[in-house]
Amino acid sequence: MRREPGGLYAAPSTIWLTVFFLAPLAIIVAYSFLTPGVRGGVEWKPTLDAYRAIANPTFAKVTLNTILVAIGATAITLLIALPCGYYMARSERQTLLLMLVMIPFWTNFLIRIYAWIAILGNEGFLNDILLALGLVDESVQFLYNRGAVMLVLVYTYLPYAILPLYSTIDKFDFSLLEAARDLGASKLGAITRVLLPNVKGGILTAFLFTFIPIFGAYAVPLLVGGTESYMLGNLIADELTKSRDWPLASAISLVITLVTTIGVLLLLRANGASTLGGAREAKAEPEPAFGGAR
Amino acid sequence: MMKRLMIAAFAATIGLVASACGGSSEKLYLFNWIYYIPEDVIEDFSKETGIQVIVDSYASNEEMYNKIVGGGDGYDIVVPSGDYVSIMIAEGLLEPIDTSRLANYGNLDPAAVARIGFDPGNRYSVPFMMAAAGVSVNRTKVSGYEHSWSVFDRSDLGGRMTMLDDMREVLGAALKSLGYSVNDPDPAHIEEARRVVERWKPNLVKFDAESFAKSFASGEFWVVQGYAENVFIEYPEARRAEVDFFFPKEGMPMYMDSFCVLRGAKNVERAYAFIDYMLRPDVAARVADYLMLPSPNVPARALMKVEPNYDFDDLARGEFKEDLGREALKLYNDAWRRIRVGN
Repeated sequence: MRREPGGLYAAPSTIWLTVFFLAPLAIIVAYSFLTPGVRGGVEWKPTLDAYRAIANPTFAKVTLNTILVAIGATAITLLIALPCGYYMARSERQTLLLMLVMIPFWTNFLIRIYAWIAILGNEGFLNDILLALGLVDESVQFLYNRGAVMLVLVYTYLPYAILPLYSTIDKFDFSLLEAARDLGASKLGAITRVLLPNVKGGILTAFLFTFIPIFGAYAVPLLVGGTESYMLGNLIADELTKSRDWPLASAISLVITLVTTIGVLLLLRANGASTLGGAREAKAEPEPAFGGAR
Repeated sequence: MMKRLMIAAFAATIGLVASACGGSSEKLYLFNWIYYIPEDVIEDFSKETGIQVIVDSYASNEEMYNKIVGGGDGYDIVVPSGDYVSIMIAEGLLEPIDTSRLANYGNLDPAAVARIGFDPGNRYSVPFMMAAAGVSVNRTKVSGYEHSWSVFDRSDLGGRMTMLDDMREVLGAALKSLGYSVNDPDPAHIEEARRVVERWKPNLVKFDAESFAKSFASGEFWVVQGYAENVFIEYPEARRAEVDFFFPKEGMPMYMDSFCVLRGAKNVERAYAFIDYMLRPDVAARVADYLMLPSPNVPARALMKVEPNYDFDDLARGEFKEDLGREALKLYNDAWRRIRVGN
């Protein structure tokens, strides 16, 4: 009998994940229980101080803000992405439309954020137009608030939602919609009761691909946010580089990781048996370009 | 110095290129702020002395410190700001410097040297440049203000003002506005300062140390706290008169970057030669011209060809940022966290 070489094939990814995911995670776990060094780093004295600090209402406020922004931005993203994905799947010019969705990835993420600043700024294009048209008397402050953060986040993560939705809807058998109509369903009913349940896996994937990175957003709130747009990502970065409380930064990261993991597991479970089905449905999902600056 | 930017990678590249060319055996390893000493100044030093300088750059004291502590040895000279000079002395990371061996040491402004608290008597550090963050106001948009931190109390400028995303600079400004030291360890005073910043905060559009200068130049922001060199590098040369850069009358936090020799440096003699070269009036003038900053080197001032962004005397109101120590640092961090997060 020949030996199954699967384990061997999986070795590179196993080693990769062990070295670059599990090991850092273990360091984060360990650091979160240690005493902060005066100027960064840790002292090897175990303590629960970092977790006590998280219980502080200040952090609750940032967490709440982060959750609100993440849920809001994800919901808007999905609402825009669904019709887009649907249209793309039904269109004759799928390749062109796919290209159009991908084109923003050709430009650096930070440059695209600065482009938004140039558009929305007090002296930006949009205000110039509004002023020239006489619609407003003085510049409208579009930037540096939660709305601007959400807008740019939606813009940034829209492709991540469109692509899995498109690939799932593309595999949907549209004759089912016709059958539903034949059997007396309204147009809306056919979509909500036949199409949506069948593309549930794609919606779930799109949700995870947008919610998780938005939950850890750093650059967007930093650049287009105002004094009140602080998110958990900024908090972690500041604790690490400015306050230099590494254990606290580790503890916050760990809590986020745990919350995200539990959330994902619950979602997958709620999605029940169709989890794997969903994954199968969406198997042609393009790999998102993770790993870049968020 | 400019705490900023993601150009460190770029700097590292320059360092690599610099180390790749030239093959002379006389080497000196300099770990310096990015964009701090013009390349031709270093090239001229190499031409004069035959010593090849290998430069590596950093963008913040923390970055430099972490690299040195993390085992990044091999450097001979580092250029920390004052608070980090005292930290590095305390940690035994620096080699004592005999300033009597530096022929040009006497060029340094005695008044400036006398104010140094981070290394009294300069036993470990040789002053290089000093500067401070101030306030820049767009004169075409704002009038009727005093040269005071109170400009940040102007609610009519709400949405048009920024302060640095920097704990020491912002709390330092608040402490100074109350008449306290920028290094005040008193919890009551720190709390008072926090309240002042909380009072300013509704008028600020954001705390920004990254792109405020760009937005100030584009007319987006009208009043910004920040370093003159950052502001003026972005502002159109022809319209510089529009900018009123000032240090508030109450005083402000200030820094001094100094040359230090790392403990265990292999090229101490060459390090002395380099530091002495940098203290030469003509060289110091070239550096000050490049940075458009006033020079702490007295004879260099007469040799400068560029009008600095402010006069050396303007720095008289400044107070050097010192290391706060563990207890006070924690109070400052807590206050800053509350300000940033908002209660």
